[in-house]
Amino acid sequence: MRKEDTVKLISAEGFEFVIDRSAALVSNTLKNMLTSSGGFTEREFGEVRFPEISTRILEKVCQYFYWSLQYSSGKEVDFPIEPEITLELMMAANYLHT
Amino acid sequence: MSTSKKKAFRIEPFKHKVEIDPKYAERTWKVLDEAICEIYNHNASGLSFEELYRNAYNMVLHKYGDKLYMGLVDTLSRHLKNMASTIEAAQGGLFLEELNRNWLEHNKALQMIRDILMYMDRTYVPNYNKTPVHELGLNLWRDYVVRYPKIKARLLDTLLDLVYRERSGEVINRGLMRNITKMLMDLGIDVYQEDFEKPFLEAASGFYKLESQEFIECCDCGDYLKKAERRLNEEIERVSHYLDPKSETKITAVVEREMIASHMNRLVEMENSGLVHMLIDDRYEDLGRMYSLFKRVSGGLGLVRDVMTSHLRETGRQLVTDPEKLKDPVEFVQRLLDEKDKYDKIITTAFINDKTFQNALNSSFEYFINLNPRSPEFISLFVDDKLRKGLKGVSEEDVETVLDKVMMLFRYLQEKDVFEKYYKQHLAKRLLSSKSVSDDAERSLIVKLKTECGYQFTSKLEGMFTDMKTSKDTMQGFNAVVSNADSSESPTLSVQVLTTGYWPTQSGAVCNLPAEILAVCEKFKTYYLSTHTGRRLTWQTNMGTADLKATFGKGQKHELNVSTYNMCILMFFNNVNSMTYKEIEQATEIPALDLKRSLQSLACVKGKNVLRKEPMSKDISEDDVFVFNDKFTSKFYKVKIGTVAAQKETEPEKQETRQKVEEDRKPQIEAAIVRIMKSRRVLDHNNIVSEVTKQLQSRFLPNPAVIKKRIESLIEREFLERDKNDRKVYRYLA
Repeated sequence: MRKEDTVKLISAEGFEFVIDRSAALVSNTLKNMLTSSGGFTEREFGEVRFPEISTRILEKVCQYFYWSLQYSSGKEVDFPIEPEITLELMMAANYLHT
Repeated sequence: MSTSKKKAFRIEPFKHKVEIDPKYAERTWKVLDEAICEIYNHNASGLSFEELYRNAYNMVLHKYGDKLYMGLVDTLSRHLKNMASTIEAAQGGLFLEELNRNWLEHNKALQMIRDILMYMDRTYVPNYNKTPVHELGLNLWRDYVVRYPKIKARLLDTLLDLVYRERSGEVINRGLMRNITKMLMDLGIDVYQEDFEKPFLEAASGFYKLESQEFIECCDCGDYLKKAERRLNEEIERVSHYLDPKSETKITAVVEREMIASHMNRLVEMENSGLVHMLIDDRYEDLGRMYSLFKRVSGGLGLVRDVMTSHLRETGRQLVTDPEKLKDPVEFVQRLLDEKDKYDKIITTAFINDKTFQNALNSSFEYFINLNPRSPEFISLFVDDKLRKGLKGVSEEDVETVLDKVMMLFRYLQEKDVFEKYYKQHLAKRLLSSKSVSDDAERSLIVKLKTECGYQFTSKLEGMFTDMKTSKDTMQGFNAVVSNADSSESPTLSVQVLTTGYWPTQSGAVCNLPAEILAVCEKFKTYYLSTHTGRRLTWQTNMGTADLKATFGKGQKHELNVSTYNMCILMFFNNVNSMTYKEIEQATEIPALDLKRSLQSLACVKGKNVLRKEPMSKDISEDDVFVFNDKFTSKFYKVKIGTVAAQKETEPEKQETRQKVEEDRKPQIEAAIVRIMKSRRVLDHNNIVSEVTKQLQSRFLPNPAVIKKRIESLIEREFLERDKNDRKVYRYLA
C-alpha cells in the first residue's frame, strides 16, 4: 500500500493506527483536516494526533470507519459497542463529526 | 452511531469538567487569534489543524461560542481594514490588480478559517442564528472593502472606464475584469446588480444614445444596421467574457432600445437606402440584417411588413394599371411572375420564410392583381402562349414549375370564372388547331385546376379533351369506310365532333361551302348519324382549316394552309379570275367582319398575298375587286396563311365576354341561395349575402346588388318569401 493512501492516527497514549485514507474520510473532521488547503501539518505528513482520545476509543473509532465503509449503504448489520465506553465514544464521534 | 441515533442524543459537557481555569477561554482564543493572523500572513504551514480545531471545539463546548464568534468578527474586520487601506493606496491601473490580489488572499484565508472553525459552524451558528463563517467573511469584505466609500466609487469608475475603453476599440485585461465581476457576483447578486450592473446599463444607454445619433446622421441605412449589429454582438460577447450571463438580456435590451427602437422609422424610411430601396435592389444581406435586428424590438417587424406591403401594393398597382404595360399580356403576366419571384426570394433568403411576411405578400398580390379586370384574361393568354410555343423543348420539371407559378397567380384571382371562360376559349382554339405543345402539360394544368377549384370547375374542360379523343376514333372509322367505298379524288375531311356545352359557344354563322366539300361533309354526316342516332350535327365553319394545293402562273406549286373561310374564297378562283367584294359576300355568306379579316389575310399580307386587290391599300372596302395573283412566289412549299390569331380581345369582345360571365353567374348565385336557404329555412338578408359570398369565393366575388336581384327573382318564382313581420328576413318555401 502506498503511503499516500494511508493515514496515521495517534491516540492520547501514543498508539499509532495506520488506516486507509478512504476509511478516515468517513469522518468529516478528518476529511477537512486532510484536504484543507493552506499547508497544515496534518495534510503535509498524513498523520493526526488526538491528545484527548484514548487508545481504546480510537481503536473503536477506526473499527467503525471500516464498518461504515462496508455497510453504510443499506445492509442492517449491528456495530457492537460495549456499554462502558458508550459515552466516550459518543464524544469522540461528535468531535470527529462522524 | 448512525445519524438517527445521533439526533436522539444531545451531547452535553460533563458538569464536573466545567470548573476549569477561568483564563482558559482567553488563552484558547489567543491561540486561535494568532493562528488566524498567521493564516493571513501565509504562515499556516506548521500549524496543527487538529489543535486549532480542538481549541475551537472546546470553546464552543464550554459555552464560549459567543466569545469565539465575536473574536472572529473583530479579527476579520481588523484584517480587512488593513487590506482596504493597501488597496486604496494602490496607484492608478494597479488598483484593480491590488483589489483582486487581496480578494484572492482573503478568500483563501477564509476557507482555512472556516475549516478550523467547522465545529462552530455546525453547532453554535445554527443554534444562535448567526451568519456562517464563510458568508460572514464575504459580508465583511463587502462592507469594509467593496463598499468602503473611497474604494466603491473608484471601483465603479475604473470598471466603467475599462468597458468604455473596450467599446472604443482598446484591448483591456479581460481576465482581471472577469475576476472582479466574479467577486461582485460572489458577494451576492444584489451587490453585482446594485454596485455594477445598474450603473453599467445606464452608461451603456448614454453611450449608445450618443453613438446612434452620430451614426444616423452620417450613415445610410445598410451601414447603420451593420454597425448596430456589430455593437450588439460585441455586447453579447462582452457578457460571455466577463459579465453575469443574466446581464445579456438587459444589455441587449439597452442596445436594441437606443440603436434600433428609437430610430426605427427613420431607418426604414431613409432616402435612397431605406427599406424600399433595399427591396428594389434585392439587398438580401441588408434585408436579413434588418429583419433580425428589428425582430428584437416590439413593433419592429410590423413596421417592416407594413412598409413592404404598401410598397408592394403601390408598385403592383402601377404594374397592372399602366396602359403601356398592358399591351402585351404575356409580358404582363411574366412581369407579375418576376415580381412574385423577386419577393419570394427576398422572403426566403432575408426574412427566413416568416409566415406573416408571406401572408402580407399574398394579400398584396391578391389586392393588385384584381385591380385590373383583365387579369384573368391575361393569365389565360399567358398559359396559351406557353402551351403553344413557350414550352417547346423544355424539360418536364420546368413545365411543371411554370404551370405551378401560373396556378399561384390564379389563386390570387377573385374572378376565377372569368378565367375559366377565357381559358376555355383559348383551350378550344389550341385543341382544334392542334397547336398545343404537350398534351401532358395541358392535362397537368387541368388537374391542378381541379385540385384548386373542384370537379365542377374542370368538368367541361375535361369534356373537351374527351371530344377530341372520340373524334379521332370516329375519323378512323369514317376514313376506313370512305377509302373502301371509292378512291376518287375527293378532298380528305377531318372532323372534330364537339359536344355543345363543353365548348365555348360560337356564333353559328354558316357559310356556303364549295360543292366538293359539301359532298364529303354530307357523307360524314350520314356515317356519323348511322352510328349515333338521335343527334344533330352543325358545322362550325368559322373554326376549321384547310390545306389547298395551288398552281401559280409559272407552274410553281404550293400547299396553302388556310382557314375554312379562306378556302371557300379561294375555291372560287378556280373558275373565275376576278371577283368583287360584293360577289364574294353573296356567294359565301361569310359574316362581314370575318370576311374582311379573311380577305385581308389573303390579299394584304406581304409574302402571302395569293390574291391581288384593286385598288391596293391596307384595308378592305366594299368596292374592292380581287384578282388571283399569278405572280405569287414563296421560298417555302407550304405556305401558312393565318387569320389574325388569338390575341387580346377587342373592346366589344371584352364587353361581350363580360356579359356572358355575368349571365353565367346568375344561376350559380341562385343555386347558392337555394342551397343555403334549404338548410337554414329562415335567414336575414345580410347573412344570406355573406354566406353566398363565402360559398362562391372560390369562383368569383359576387356583387351584393346582384345577389339582391337574384333573391327578388327567387321570391317572384316562389322559392322564397319575405317574413311578414320583418321584411329583412326570408323564408324558404317548398
